[in-house]
Amino acid sequence: MDQNNTTTPVKPGVEVDGTIVRTELTDARRRTLFEEQVMPEVDRLFGAAMRYTHDPTDAQDLVQETVAKAFQSYHQYQQGTNLRAWLYRILHTTYISMYRKRQRRPQETLQESIDDFSFYDESRTGPSAEREVFAEITDTVVKEALADLPDTFRMAVYLADVEGFAYKEIAEIMDTPIGTVMSRLHRGRKALQQALAQYARTHGLIEDDGDDQ
Amino acid sequence: MTTDANCAGTDGDCAEALEQLELYLDGELPGGDLGRIREHLAACYPCADRATFEEQLRALVKERCAESAPPELHTAILHRLDEMSIHGA
Repeated sequence: MDQNNTTTPVKPGVEVDGTIVRTELTDARRRTLFEEQVMPEVDRLFGAAMRYTHDPTDAQDLVQETVAKAFQSYHQYQQGTNLRAWLYRILHTTYISMYRKRQRRPQETLQESIDDFSFYDESRTGPSAEREVFAEITDTVVKEALADLPDTFRMAVYLADVEGFAYKEIAEIMDTPIGTVMSRLHRGRKALQQALAQYARTHGLIEDDGDDQ
Repeated sequence: MTTDANCAGTDGDCAEALEQLELYLDGELPGGDLGRIREHLAACYPCADRATFEEQLRALVKERCAESAPPELHTAILHRLDEMSIHGA
């Protein structure tokens, strides 16, 4: 870590919502404030890291690295702005620098035909009521279905549906235009639904209509 | 975009609602369209049923993805911060 020895620049107070926020905090105060703000996010960051890396050890490393980087650049974080989006942006870039290179899959895309898929329509054809189908879909099934999505689609779906980020926030986190976020979300969700429907079909929860790929 | 065979409406309201459904559920639909889709969903059972399905499916994905970090991660992070503080990060 070449940045470890650089000292934090002392900045003047910044006005946020009419209050002057002192950025020249003492080290101790800065550390306390950081812990108060960031430590409560660790569980959620770990959840995201699990979906990013698919491995508990890698996920822990990723979160640790993310928090360390956040601490290093904490003076750049403007109090009162979106802390979670800032943290996930760091998580995202850290993931890319740490892991993406070693990913075996190239940047994949999803087939055009995915746009026509509807889990809703399929779920109406089976012996189980739609909502009973959901009850049979376990943690593992959802996690594996997500894991099978191409990276960028999985991240968009995760950030929206699990973390509840708005399009604009996801665009910032993934450093991509909003239009790209929207199309990744749309197709990623369709692909996820297709995988879940496939599971439901093989377990007799919805009818096998004979046109599976 | 496919339109919904289950929809009774033939005047294009259903098609419009379904096209906007994803944005609506994401809370990203502009104010002007919001009233119209709400009105439509209140009046059209098939569209409302589909909306509920999509909503519940998202809730399911969220619920099934819940993780809690192992306690040693918190400890490791605090330790790392200690080290960084000593080195004047």
